Amino acid sequence: MATRPLGVEAASVSLGLRRPGAWTVLARFCRKKPLGAIGGLLMVVMFLTAVFANQLATHDPIATDAGQSLARPGPDHWLGSDHLGRDIYSRVVHGARVSLIVGLASTLLGSVFGGIIGLLSGYVGGKTDLITQRVMDILQGLPLLVLALVMSAALGPSIPNVVLAISIPIIPRAARVIRASVLSIREMQYVEAARAVGLRHVRIAFRHVLPNTMGPFIVLCTAQLGSAILVEAALSFLGLGVPEPYPSWGRMLSVSAAEYAQKAPWLVLFPGLAISLAVFGSNLLGDALRDTLDPRLRGA
Amino acid sequence: MRRSRIVAAALSALAVLAAASLASAETPKSGGHLNLMQREDLSQGFAVHETSTIATSFPSMPCFNNLVVFDQTKRAETVENLVGELAEKWSWQDNYRNLVFFLRRNVKWHDGQPFTSKDVKFTFDMLREAPDAPAKLRINPRKDWYTNVEAIEAADPYTVVFRLKRPQPGLLVMLASGYTPIYAAHVNPAAYRTGCIGTGPFKMKEWRKGEFVDYVKNPDYFMKGRPYLDSLRYVVIKERGTRTAALQAGQLDVSFPGETTKTAAEQLKKAVPGLVITPVAQAVSDNIIMNTKKPPFDNLKVRLAVSYAIDRKALISAVHQGGAVPGASQQPKPYGVWGLLEKDLGTLPGYGKIEDMRAQARKLLAEAGITPQNPLKVEMSTRAIALYVDMASFVINELKQVGIEATLKQVETAQWHSMATRGDYQIGANLTGLGVDEPDANYYENYACGSPRNYSQYCSEEVMKMIEQQSQELNPQKRLALVAALQKKVEADAARPLLDWRLDYFTVWPYVKGMVPHDNIYNFGRMADVWRDK
Amino acid sequence: MKTYIAQRLGIGLLTLLGMSIVIFGMLRLAPGDIVDILFSTGGYVNPVERVAIEKELGLDRPVWVQYLEWMRQILTGDLGKSYRYDLPAWEIIRPLIPVTLELAILSLIVSVALGVPLGVISAVRQDTPLDYALRVFSLAGLSMPSFWLGMVIILGLVAWIGWIPPVTYVSPSENFWLHAVQFALPSLAVGYRSSALIMRITRSSLLEVMREDYIRTARAKGQSGSVVIWRHALQNAILPVVTVIGIEFAFLIGGLVVTETVFNLPGLARFLVEAILWRDYPIVQNLVMFIAIVVIVSNLVVDMLYGFLDPRVRYGH
Repeated sequence: MATRPLGVEAASVSLGLRRPGAWTVLARFCRKKPLGAIGGLLMVVMFLTAVFANQLATHDPIATDAGQSLARPGPDHWLGSDHLGRDIYSRVVHGARVSLIVGLASTLLGSVFGGIIGLLSGYVGGKTDLITQRVMDILQGLPLLVLALVMSAALGPSIPNVVLAISIPIIPRAARVIRASVLSIREMQYVEAARAVGLRHVRIAFRHVLPNTMGPFIVLCTAQLGSAILVEAALSFLGLGVPEPYPSWGRMLSVSAAEYAQKAPWLVLFPGLAISLAVFGSNLLGDALRDTLDPRLRGA
Repeated sequence: MRRSRIVAAALSALAVLAAASLASAETPKSGGHLNLMQREDLSQGFAVHETSTIATSFPSMPCFNNLVVFDQTKRAETVENLVGELAEKWSWQDNYRNLVFFLRRNVKWHDGQPFTSKDVKFTFDMLREAPDAPAKLRINPRKDWYTNVEAIEAADPYTVVFRLKRPQPGLLVMLASGYTPIYAAHVNPAAYRTGCIGTGPFKMKEWRKGEFVDYVKNPDYFMKGRPYLDSLRYVVIKERGTRTAALQAGQLDVSFPGETTKTAAEQLKKAVPGLVITPVAQAVSDNIIMNTKKPPFDNLKVRLAVSYAIDRKALISAVHQGGAVPGASQQPKPYGVWGLLEKDLGTLPGYGKIEDMRAQARKLLAEAGITPQNPLKVEMSTRAIALYVDMASFVINELKQVGIEATLKQVETAQWHSMATRGDYQIGANLTGLGVDEPDANYYENYACGSPRNYSQYCSEEVMKMIEQQSQELNPQKRLALVAALQKKVEADAARPLLDWRLDYFTVWPYVKGMVPHDNIYNFGRMADVWRDK
Repeated sequence: MKTYIAQRLGIGLLTLLGMSIVIFGMLRLAPGDIVDILFSTGGYVNPVERVAIEKELGLDRPVWVQYLEWMRQILTGDLGKSYRYDLPAWEIIRPLIPVTLELAILSLIVSVALGVPLGVISAVRQDTPLDYALRVFSLAGLSMPSFWLGMVIILGLVAWIGWIPPVTYVSPSENFWLHAVQFALPSLAVGYRSSALIMRITRSSLLEVMREDYIRTARAKGQSGSVVIWRHALQNAILPVVTVIGIEFAFLIGGLVVTETVFNLPGLARFLVEAILWRDYPIVQNLVMFIAIVVIVSNLVVDMLYGFLDPRVRYGH
């Protein structure tokens, strides 16, 4: 099925060849995929904003100030303030922390869990594979948001619950991608060679097959990160996501933002832009990574 | 001399002409349709007696009639403004022990059946869960409004007598609430969950679930010439932004009671200067509930400290942008009849200078053994709705200033009431709507021992005596004084410190006439006197 | 072919069964039930009345009995009664279906009409500024939260021209143009988002096909550029696109939840959210199963289309 070899770096790893230096790889990537580089930059900015939220924010994101209700963007409030006088800039900055944590945690949780399921299911094959795939089909049969909605209502509003609710729909999607990758690798010659030598299956699975799924896995993660952030925003918008007092970009857009939008359009503009930029960055990066690491998946 | 007389005559002629044209401009026109809104679909259809929410009562008003209502063309809800709907005349007898109603004749239910005293007896026997009541409500939130009713007699088809166990002048006013419509005796009460058979000015034409309720004019309405309008539509719009946009764009003609904040009203007025905005009180209060049965809030000093710590004026400014008024447990004047005046509030916790209040709070906490070295950590519960959460966040901030560390816990609507009734919380930020500005309704529901809505599980024999005493007091002046004392006592016990009473900036398009909001969101909206000028 | 269809149907049914158990279980997991909500609209709780209502609604029976009862009802075509509205669930759900279906189909049409041409242009002008611009434009649509886009549209409209699309559903028979306007905006908003994936797939599969030898040969033979592209390339590139359209359909339904709420359209998705909040088990269970069936059927149709278009797949797995 494969007409082209795997990403050069990944193959070299498994064959024990010397890897090109990290900076060279990065520079090559930026030159060849400028959009991806921009995406990466956006992600780095978001990551740094999240980590240094306390230093970057100008106000306490949850402190209210009656006298500053719906203040225009200006020297006091760089991005304006909401109806309770809370500083929008500080809330957007802290919101990055929440979105990133929830997005990353749920993506990693779902992808790792799903990836392991996909790895084992694809490698073992047979009846186990068939049954696992049906179970995955069941979970995947429902649109992401609907499933997350029901889960969120079931579990109640809290950050761990939101992470769980968003990660569960990711599991079957991750399992499917990793499984597809595993199915093709399984037949590769060096795996057959390893088996001929007599290595145990578990060893083969984790030491030889797994590293070669890293490419698709990374692509999967970046793609799902974008969706995870969007789903979290939608859940928070509907009131079922991240609860107070944690500032959430999605929740900043519900209720009062829409109601006062004409008097204070910055309420609607900036949180929405933040979400869009974060997802945009992750999508750009994911696309570029996909093109670089695993060109076969371009059409998947 | 003569010239001034001519001028005077001319002026008076002009005045007469002006008055005449004004009067003709204000003559109600028949016909037309009005679009109103709902923020959510009817919870249990038109079963007003099985719910306690404006989501049911407001859209059901056009379908029903009460025995008596508050005049729909006047704002104040007082005994003087009571008008009869299904009752033509009424009188108290035997020193406020018996309430007699002489019912209107020739009134028909929407299905053509005649209205008689049987319907009244049916409704109220069902409500008070009389042992021989012919029907039972699945959920009966206002049962305790009628604990004092001994029996209801319907000796002849147009006379009903409420026999009370003891005098209760407040009962009449409770019958005027939007929560007290008359059901038909020949209709199964469960049927009101899916449809509406009433005697009101409009007949329910269609209820498209989740979308709208359509009403058409009742041609047989007992008031001749009413209603003026031909049809009504209550549109469900859940999204707040869309609601405001629809009102602004003219797709809705009337705002929903209690839904327009001061800031939203300013925005609307700016966009459409012709809109008519009337600030009224809602009879909805923000308050703090505390579990008085468990530590730490079983300690009066701790509760008082909480009440002292919350700066009421700052809360009104921060959370409502000025769209609320301070008050004790009864809605304050001039919005309510019984509320304390602002000068009397000054002596209550939370109304003085903030530094003094905070110092007092810290002192009380220290007396209870809570110091910066031994801080108090509690969990503040509130419903997971933005309005409640904003309020709770502000209160948490206030409590932090005096050394109480509170974390916010959001509870979904489905669990709130069972949690609160079970006492499964420490402190909570709560909203209370009062069906009518009547101390009996308020205190029996929220402060009486054992009442399911007494979430604080507060029980004071002294207060019960005071409640009973004011309920039986026949002299209005004396009763006012008793209720004032009751308000002060209840705040001093700090079981349910009251924070503020919300205002609503009721908005209508200028061609909507005759729609007069009351200082209570539950008791207006009959729509019989409303007409369109365009 | 017949065995293939039978096999897929069988698997589909099994999947549906599994899904029914999952949805049933998750709903019961959610704290609070309809009785709690009924009491909360009443503003109080009474344990005696609670027991009576539970009995009336059949909630006092053991969970597995309730599940079997639900299965039995579905098999006899009875979709149960809504706990909230006290009416047969089918009666309430039926008028919602055409609204959501119409919105979904219109959005899909928009996404294909936007995505395929943009993908083709982008592929033909690969790595030019135009390509980058189109990719950015398309990706931007995928990155914006759909409810934000909807909100911005409505608020922008009312601010600039003082008008918004009707907030009550206007059927095409009532007023065709108003209906068209009412559905145009949300379809555009949702379609724009979905077009991103279709554009991307069209572009990449076209690129891959264009690299194939026979295309190069055809070019060398001197056939004009556009003939080569349109005849050979598109024919082969269409397959992954069809697959993606099927996947997109399922993805669409999720996005409809917020779109219907913001534009106030009385569809299934908006109703589902309400029903979940109300713990209206019969409605949620049946609606979710309905969505699942639609998704499975659309997947099956796509697979069959795939098989029809590519004979290599028809007899494989």
